[in-house]
Amino acid sequence: MEKKHGPAKGNSYGMVIDLDKCTGCGTCMVACAAENNLAVRPDESDKQRSITWMRLYKVTNGKDFPYTEVSYFPRPCMHCDHHTPCVSVCPATATETDPHTGIVSQIYTRCIGCRYCMAACPYHARTFNWWDGYFPKGKGIERYLSPEVSPRMRGVVEKCTFCHHRLMRAKTQAYTEDRRELEEGEYITACTEACPAQAITFGDLKNPEHKVSRLAKSPYAFRLLERLGTEPKVYYLSTKDWVRKLGDNYLPGEFKPVSTVKAG
Amino acid sequence: MDSALIPEGVKRCSPKVFFFWTLPWIALLLWGAVSAALCLLVGLNQTNMSDYFAFAVWIVVDLAIIALGAGAFFTGFLTYIIGKKELKDIINAAVIIGFICYSGAVAMLGIDIGQPIRGWFIFWHVNVHSMLAEVSFCITCYLGVLAIEYLPIILENREIKKVRTLRLAGENLHGIMAVFAATGAFLSFFHQGSLGGLFGVMYARPFDIRGGFYVWPWTFFLFILSAMAAGPSFTILCTKLTEKIARKHLVPEKAFQTLAKISGSLLCFYVVLKIIDTLVWVFGNVPRAGLSFMDFFKEGPYGVWLLVLEILVFGVVPAIILITPSARKSEGWLITGCLMNCIGIVLNRFTFTIVSLAIPVMPFDKFVSYLPTWQEWGVSVAVIGYGFLLFSLSYRYLPIFPKERELNAATK
Amino acid sequence: MELNRRNFISLMVGGVAGMHITPLPWKLTDDIAIWTQNWPWVPVPPAGAFNSAKSVCTLCPGGCGIEVRKVDGRAVKIEGRTDFPVNPGGICPVGMGGLQLLYNEDIRFTRPMKRVGPRGAGQFADISWKEAVGILSERIGGLRKKGAGEAIAAIDGNSARSATALLVERLLKAVGSPNYLRAPSLDDTYSLANLMMLGTDGPMAYDLENSDFILSFGAGLIEGWGAPGRMINAWSIWRDQETRGKVKVVQVEARASNTASKADQWVAVMPGTEGALALAMAHVIIKEGLYNKEFVGGYTSGFNEWSSFVIRQYSPEQAAAVTSCPAEEIRSLARAFAKSKAPVALCGRGKGTLNGSLYESMCIQSLNALTGGINRIGGVLVQDHLPLASLPDITYDEVSRQGVQKARLDHAGTPKFPYAQSVASLFAKEVREAADSRIDTLLVFGSNPVQTLPDGGLFRKALSKIPFIVSFSSFRDDTSMYADLVLPDHTYLEKMDEVVWPAGLQYPLYSLTRPVVKPLYETKNCGDTIIELARAIGGSVAASFPWKGFEDVVKHRAKGLFDSAKGLTGYKADSPVWKMMQKAEEITPDYKSFDDLWNKLSKGGFWYRPVHNYGRWDSIFKTATGKFEFVSTRLQLAIQGYLRQNQADSALSGLGIGAGAQVAAYPHYEETNAQVDTKVYPITLVPYEMINLASGSVASPPHLNKTIFDNQLLKEDSFAEINPKTASQLGIKEGDPVFIESAAGRIRVRVSIFEGAMPGCVFVPLGFGRIGWDEFTRGKGANPNDIILPRMDPVSGQPVWWKTPVKITKA
Repeated sequence: MEKKHGPAKGNSYGMVIDLDKCTGCGTCMVACAAENNLAVRPDESDKQRSITWMRLYKVTNGKDFPYTEVSYFPRPCMHCDHHTPCVSVCPATATETDPHTGIVSQIYTRCIGCRYCMAACPYHARTFNWWDGYFPKGKGIERYLSPEVSPRMRGVVEKCTFCHHRLMRAKTQAYTEDRRELEEGEYITACTEACPAQAITFGDLKNPEHKVSRLAKSPYAFRLLERLGTEPKVYYLSTKDWVRKLGDNYLPGEFKPVSTVKAG
Repeated sequence: MDSALIPEGVKRCSPKVFFFWTLPWIALLLWGAVSAALCLLVGLNQTNMSDYFAFAVWIVVDLAIIALGAGAFFTGFLTYIIGKKELKDIINAAVIIGFICYSGAVAMLGIDIGQPIRGWFIFWHVNVHSMLAEVSFCITCYLGVLAIEYLPIILENREIKKVRTLRLAGENLHGIMAVFAATGAFLSFFHQGSLGGLFGVMYARPFDIRGGFYVWPWTFFLFILSAMAAGPSFTILCTKLTEKIARKHLVPEKAFQTLAKISGSLLCFYVVLKIIDTLVWVFGNVPRAGLSFMDFFKEGPYGVWLLVLEILVFGVVPAIILITPSARKSEGWLITGCLMNCIGIVLNRFTFTIVSLAIPVMPFDKFVSYLPTWQEWGVSVAVIGYGFLLFSLSYRYLPIFPKERELNAATK
Repeated sequence: MELNRRNFISLMVGGVAGMHITPLPWKLTDDIAIWTQNWPWVPVPPAGAFNSAKSVCTLCPGGCGIEVRKVDGRAVKIEGRTDFPVNPGGICPVGMGGLQLLYNEDIRFTRPMKRVGPRGAGQFADISWKEAVGILSERIGGLRKKGAGEAIAAIDGNSARSATALLVERLLKAVGSPNYLRAPSLDDTYSLANLMMLGTDGPMAYDLENSDFILSFGAGLIEGWGAPGRMINAWSIWRDQETRGKVKVVQVEARASNTASKADQWVAVMPGTEGALALAMAHVIIKEGLYNKEFVGGYTSGFNEWSSFVIRQYSPEQAAAVTSCPAEEIRSLARAFAKSKAPVALCGRGKGTLNGSLYESMCIQSLNALTGGINRIGGVLVQDHLPLASLPDITYDEVSRQGVQKARLDHAGTPKFPYAQSVASLFAKEVREAADSRIDTLLVFGSNPVQTLPDGGLFRKALSKIPFIVSFSSFRDDTSMYADLVLPDHTYLEKMDEVVWPAGLQYPLYSLTRPVVKPLYETKNCGDTIIELARAIGGSVAASFPWKGFEDVVKHRAKGLFDSAKGLTGYKADSPVWKMMQKAEEITPDYKSFDDLWNKLSKGGFWYRPVHNYGRWDSIFKTATGKFEFVSTRLQLAIQGYLRQNQADSALSGLGIGAGAQVAAYPHYEETNAQVDTKVYPITLVPYEMINLASGSVASPPHLNKTIFDNQLLKEDSFAEINPKTASQLGIKEGDPVFIESAAGRIRVRVSIFEGAMPGCVFVPLGFGRIGWDEFTRGKGANPNDIILPRMDPVSGQPVWWKTPVKITKA
């Protein structure tokens, strides 16, 4: 089910996450938080108000002991390609889909915090700053903040940007070397880089040379809630039918096990 | 004490009684003020809203009062554009209720957004594709229109009228009221629709997604229609309540009947369309998303009963009551019908806001529950307090019911 | 002017227009919007020049390579390092969050401190280094004057055989105390098992990447066991499209952990019965003649004796009754294992932060012997310790010479625990139960026993009997809350330190951390502190520490690498070590002189030897028989020694061996059940470890709290996993608060219903329930260690922490 991504020119950055390889360790989440200056509160157990750009979902096959199996869905922003649900609803143009990269951006200083985008996103990829960042005086925890990503103020929505600053970093490097095109792997997200299982592959979905575009065509590839038509640029791979089935909603009989997918 | 301010020829309660009457409403306002201050200064962490319930009780209240306040534009439209002369006897009340509802809603929205100081970015950096931008534009403009419509009523105050310039200004405003009524109708049409569109365009939420016409999902039209149906009912209810509390007739029965008849007819039309829309959604949109209708209610307290309640109990029943002349002529049934109509629309707005956000879309996501904090209730009930207060003040000091003197002459 | 309609409209329009022309409202609106975009309380990270520094992570014994991204002198991100042999670019979540351990003043000791509040309250006052060292040296000097050097004890969590650990041990000996304790770890169990069967106490070196059948008995292969960066990468290789199906991973565990779920097969057994499963597999392998006849026949001893025991007592049916694993599953597993080309069986529970069971390890190692997997590619490699230069002899004076001869308080090395290095829980028991304070001063190095010892809080309680406690921790951790004096260490990002052979690695590797940032506070490398302290004590103690500083010690040791082995200091990601090791050629070192080597090492570098001599079965075993011993001579000797002293105890119950003297030297299954009424305590408590929750001495960096699910921690409550069947028997529902109570105490948790939990068990994560640290960590959840009954694994003396009888009641 190959879909075209983005406009004819430019790149369409996307991700393939191999769920067979993913061990659920959470390094992607921590790498993302560290890279993007995510605010941490003393209590992060309120998951409905905890800021995460990359979030791990734990799923089980629901079978009884000892046939139980767990698996994980790492969920970054899907950077939806088609009529990006959040972008189209934002009243203040604080989030946009970059036609040259396919990356859905978020402008914190423009966001008015109406949260309509959060309501529109079925992936819960967006989180709101219910609090100001927690940086008590004398603790000195603000010292690990990276200058590449501006810390957010309370009252605005934030989300995964595919580490857009890394794209800028890579481009700057390329331009100083008098190149206009980036090599594969020159720009990857922090989670991709951090994953100790190399479960995440990142690259240009429109470039057939890139591993990511090959993997996205795998018979094991699927996307979250694909049938809603949001055209996510994040693909998942799994050889396990029960995992694949959890990627979307199916009426009885609709789901095609991987064997039939492979044959067909 | 304040008798000089009270309109000529009508009776009002003593200042003392009036003072005590306002106390509970002032208390609600104070509660709201404390809540609002906390939310604005400390942040929205004062609420129980979350990343799952990005819209919560405030949006429900907003949507509800905007729909209920639709009596203003629709009655104005009927009065000034269609020329239903009998409605002139109730138009002032409708305008004031509308003003209360809209100003209350805008104030709540100001607290609801995370960065109220930057609220105007909606206009500066507008995204014309956003239903919310359309809503914001129309509501802001319409609130201005409502204020202009409210102004001449204020200028009719006995003392104010003594100032010649002001009196003339009021009279002039009255003269051109049709222009504003038309503007208001136009603006309202769009923002009521856009409020519905707000949900209909969330095509990634199967609970909300609808088909539509051009850029407008069906919810766009259903919201307009339901607001037009419920607004007049709410105007009737408020006026009847005023009559009960003041213990006198204020509006001729004909005005009530006209409004009730129109409200009922529109409600009938709405309910039919709503049922069609629901069926198309249940058998079309929902299965296309891979879900069966019952999948929405796998977890949590919500169920099909909610839709049954909204559409059949609080939709079909009041529609029947209000279009049946004998029923609506009985005051008890009229009030019941109007009340049920209003409850139905509040339920509708609640379902679209809370229920649609509560229902998880990803198969591995889970249902989370939400209950508002006292701060959220505070801001919500403050609107009620504000409404009672402003309406009471208007009733006491402004001649908002032109037929009041006439209707109460006999009893004098 | 007459106010007619015309005038009125112009007035209105004019007014509206006029208002808009005034700049003031617009300017104000704009200004306050700009203010919200620059709120002064939102931090603005200072910009600067980007640079990076390479080092090694020592938050666990895995020693993964890290590269720290910096802005000027400030570290802003830790990333995995691709030019490091252990982990090709990936690190674990704890390592990834490391900067939050560096930059947080509330969790660190910023300078030497002494206690001012009651113990445990965490109230300290600043003192100078001079004063701090003075206080301690005087105290130690005073004890030595009294001839009571043994009243000084140390508990050490620095990696075994690392320079710091050696200095601590040296200090104890030099001042005249035998009471050097180590926090128990899986490495102790590995070393001991190797000593019993192979005759060497070298590291356990599993050549997992070259194996085609990995049978793990409880090791959390992707949950922190070994070097996480290495293990998860290996896992990824096994799941590659090309290798998929060629390598089989089987996990034996009582719970559907990540490793069990992601493995090709999950074999569920009752906790603690892994040894019985291994023996039943041995039974099948022996009976069906599937074992490696060349190895077993030529290079092992005691096979006949042991095999007849196994045939007699461990049929799959017999084992099924013990393990609850169906006999047929055991049979097919045994066959699949034995028929694989390069199978390997490995033991270890969870991350390996805590010890395992000696006999169980021996049972599992027996499987490797049966398949000839000892020192074979893809099996268990027999390795010597790193050839680091040893330190010069200690200078003893009369006090210390006598002191070190005195009996250890924990009885390690006595006939009861003949091969144990230290038994921390027995130490705690002795201290607590003694009438007088036998220990005057306790030094705590690189460990956090109050939090991590699975002893039902025994160690914590024993602390009240110790008059003076000294912490050398960087952090305001759980144990240092009880300290009277703190001489804080640098954090791992501010110091030079050694990583001696990352846990579980199949080849020798030595690496050095280096200060990636300048030390933020007035802390001091623990090695330097020890040397300074020795100097202050003076006399023979000072003479035993002739170095200028810690770096000299490290450099001295590293010289041994240069002198006695050929290794490499460079690594390229495209030729992983396990592939290099397939070709058994000698290598040419990539350094010319020792200075060259040192230069490379001291910049966060490493030294490794990617070659190995496989086979050599005739010469690698250092046992009495010179062969792999199914019946351990060392154990036989130990039992004889014990029986000489305790003739009455022919059943060996004093050793904790229930199986009797006949089989005591065999790899066999020991039930090690607690002496409590199972009617009162019908449920088995099984602590487990999570890779995203630091369960060792150092707590999780706060970023990791984002990865903890809300059915693992909710506000202050951590959760226990219970099978739905067990839960319904107990009448408890998801989220219910309950007490888990053992004979040692009770903890309060909430219940998480999980189908993957073995019925009859309750699974509680290790790492919560800390009392030190700051608001991100303190008081969150419960620590199962608090209620673990302090029982001892036979012979090793280490705690049996993996199963405790408990009862569950609604809270």
